[in-house]
Amino acid sequence: MSERYPNYDVLAKRWSPSWNEITRHVIERRLAVPREPVFFDKSEWETLCAVCDRIMPQPMDRPPVPLAAYVDQKITSRHLDGYRYAELPPQGEAWKRGLAALDAEAQDAHGGHFHTLDGAQQDALLHRMQQGELHGPAWGDMPCKPFFEHRVVADITHAYYGHPTAWNEIGFGGPASPRGYVRLKLDRRDPWEAVEDQPGNDAAEKNRHVV
Amino acid sequence: MRMGEKSVATGQSALAGFGLAAMAAARIACGLRGVARARRGALLVPDAKTTVLAAKRLNTAAGVLAASVLTDSAVEHYRGGFHNKAMITPLVTASLSLAVSIHGNADDEPVAHEVRDAVYFLSGLTGLIGTGFHIYNVGKRTGGFSWQNLFYAAPMGAPAALTLSGMTGFLAERVREARPGTAPTIAGLLAGRLVGLLTSLGLFGTVAEAGLLHFRGSFQHKAMYIPVTVPPVTAALLAAAAIGPRKRNLFWARTWLRLTAIIGVAGAGFHTRGVARQMGGWRNWTQNLLSGPPIPAPPSFTGLALAGLAALGLLEDLAE
Repeated sequence: MSERYPNYDVLAKRWSPSWNEITRHVIERRLAVPREPVFFDKSEWETLCAVCDRIMPQPMDRPPVPLAAYVDQKITSRHLDGYRYAELPPQGEAWKRGLAALDAEAQDAHGGHFHTLDGAQQDALLHRMQQGELHGPAWGDMPCKPFFEHRVVADITHAYYGHPTAWNEIGFGGPASPRGYVRLKLDRRDPWEAVEDQPGNDAAEKNRHVV
Repeated sequence: MRMGEKSVATGQSALAGFGLAAMAAARIACGLRGVARARRGALLVPDAKTTVLAAKRLNTAAGVLAASVLTDSAVEHYRGGFHNKAMITPLVTASLSLAVSIHGNADDEPVAHEVRDAVYFLSGLTGLIGTGFHIYNVGKRTGGFSWQNLFYAAPMGAPAALTLSGMTGFLAERVREARPGTAPTIAGLLAGRLVGLLTSLGLFGTVAEAGLLHFRGSFQHKAMYIPVTVPPVTAALLAAAAIGPRKRNLFWARTWLRLTAIIGVAGAGFHTRGVARQMGGWRNWTQNLLSGPPIPAPPSFTGLALAGLAALGLLEDLAE
């Protein structure tokens, strides 16, 4: 699955000293996220899923990280950032309004729902959102540019890189509590860290023993 | 195998290889050589059995130091991933030093042993070269010889423990081969005085190392003050005994040396507890043995204290 860190599976460390009871519990809950929306309605959910696929495209040869589900869960579990940009409403309201507005923009421009457009059309709309060029009435007083930056990109990428699948992909060690790291200099590796594939270093075999 | 005068000469030139020893010898040579010569005739000199016993004590001291270096460098160099191939060297030489020390401890012959001599010399040399490597390692890092690098780069004082092991063992061989009926001398100095002085220097050096690293640990446990308060007193008492008058009362020096020997062992105990106190405790040993306080380090004090006690034994024999 991961080409750069072949055979590395961060979940193999589950019963190693890298994880304690709390981390096992946290990761279990994270992996058990409900795949159905709780906060969003059907239309918003479809738009959100389509947005997630464009912001963080995923390979087809592995189960995808359920990004839309994490965005939904972040809102329903009231997992707040700890701060809020003044021009944006609270996260749930921002998402609802932003997704509805994006879908309205899709219908305006192409006469179809956002999730029915092809990738290029979706990207063009998202790009205009990023540039702050969407001003349809559904946005209300919420500017589309900060919504894109601080909600769309932030919530979706944070969800992606909070998932063990992404950790395997980038060779991240995952939870480090209680065990941390002792070889801290550049290009030094603890035995419980992933091996990056390099010519002749047998990373595929070594990563089988990384726990 | 009797080594005789020639091997004493070899021994003297080899001794020069120990920078520490040479330095100390140069400094005290003028003062003590005369004393040794003047008093020799009047002494009740120790028999071979007594000198061999002293030599065996020094072998033991060298062995304890070697064991400390072996385990400590094994752990720390494993942590460093043996990044530099030379990092395997102290494991080899300390193992050899430990092995010949055990051999010497069981050897009753009043003659130096060529293999032991060679290994001790090699250990002493390895320690010196290692010190060079460690100084280089600190210097090449960003910031050079800053506190940060003194704390976290290769510890500059650590390889010296191997030099001390080699030196102590080397001195053991010199004491052992002393001619029966004469007070053991090394490079013309009374062995007890020389061993005492060098051991005292070694104790001060080890105090500096413990002081630096315990300062890094901000003396977060009161017991961390012990190795920077007790051993300096011991070192001073030992040095005073080594250069003092012949019939000096050695009671306090002996008492503090014994205390220091106990501190070395207790230190390993404290460090074991320190590892246990780290997050995850012993279940997380793969991390905590490396990131926690080094368990094998404190027994260096025990090794030096044993060498100091052997020196007192030599001084006392002469004082009869």
